[in-house]
Amino acid sequence: MTAYLSARGLTKTFIGRPVLAGIDADVRPGDIVGLLGANGAGKSTLLEVLLGLSPASQGSARMFDSEAVVANVALKRRVGFVPQTDELIGELRGSEYLGLIASFYPSWDPALAQRLVAEWGLEPSKTIAKYSVGQRQKLAIISALAHRPDLLVLDEPVSSLDPLARRQFLQQIVELMADERRAVAFSSHIVSDVERLANVIWILKSGRLVWQGDLDALKESVVRVHAGGGSGGTVRVALRNVVAERHAGTATTLIAVRAPDEDWDDLEMRIGENARIEHLSLEEIFLELHA
Amino acid sequence: MFILNPQSGTPIYRQLIEQVRRLVASGQLAAGAELPSVRELALEHAVNPMTISKAYTMLEAEGVLERQRGKPMTVAARDRAQAPRTHRLEQLEGQLDHLVLAARQLELTPEDLIKAIRRKWSDK
Repeated sequence: MTAYLSARGLTKTFIGRPVLAGIDADVRPGDIVGLLGANGAGKSTLLEVLLGLSPASQGSARMFDSEAVVANVALKRRVGFVPQTDELIGELRGSEYLGLIASFYPSWDPALAQRLVAEWGLEPSKTIAKYSVGQRQKLAIISALAHRPDLLVLDEPVSSLDPLARRQFLQQIVELMADERRAVAFSSHIVSDVERLANVIWILKSGRLVWQGDLDALKESVVRVHAGGGSGGTVRVALRNVVAERHAGTATTLIAVRAPDEDWDDLEMRIGENARIEHLSLEEIFLELHA
Repeated sequence: MFILNPQSGTPIYRQLIEQVRRLVASGQLAAGAELPSVRELALEHAVNPMTISKAYTMLEAEGVLERQRGKPMTVAARDRAQAPRTHRLEQLEGQLDHLVLAARQLELTPEDLIKAIRRKWSDK
């Protein structure tokens, strides 16, 4: 199946300054892509260029097999997008805004919109200007979800939501993904949310993807080894691809990424009894790849 | 029914596979017992449904679970779930590695370890 979003050699410069450099990546049907990156890494720009909201400087950005910037209305209707800064209209009531969005999408599901408004405790008769930041975020998410898009793209969608609302949001994505033709791509600083939902992880660092691939593979192929009693040398020999190393007295800490053809089954034995292997959470991996 | 920790260094699908294997091996999940649907588990834990189906598919390939069209996943009949002794022993490989390493660090002998295991075994 063709990818829903696809970048090839994608580069974006703002006033001569590179923001994205040589991105090759795909969002395929069935994927939930989690995009991680420090502030200013280029996450929002990447999502916007992939959706054709901003042109690529070099390389290509494609959406449903069309060049993204010239994608027609029929294709755009298959996408739901929640930008980092919402584009709600302050003068309208919540219900009026949803009515307006509904008029753009033949596939709008009024029952779903109504259910989410109720579950998330939104006040539809209130003017949007009087909404809290969290309520605005909920309304923006509902307007992107309720037309049941094939592709849902969210840029920091839950930064202002409380844990309860965040969990409801995650469950809503699970519901949406019951149809395996759908795909989701979202950026978030809440790494534990990404860790729950995403099967594919993109890690963006200064405009380059330093990791893209399966979350399970990422967890299985990055380890932190604590080598005590001067065993750092033995450990270094046992690991082919050490990406970082720290020393404290006779103790050494090594971060290693497994090479594709490297066998780690007997790693524990090979590093000897003075070293311990630690498997890392996504947040720890993210931090180590930025160290 | 399952304890899944998304923030663990062990991928969620592996956590699920190991727990199902253990529950089946210990008889807490008997042959024919139904497992929660992919959707139910994914919603309960707010995790990607694909992660759950990946675990179920691998458990099916191992012969631990059975799938019938349109029905919930069930625990396979005993004779199929009962893997050969060597295969079952392989499931303890990771724990054995830990145990042997820890024993070496404490400068114990294999005989010490075997004695301790026998003692534990007859306690239960």
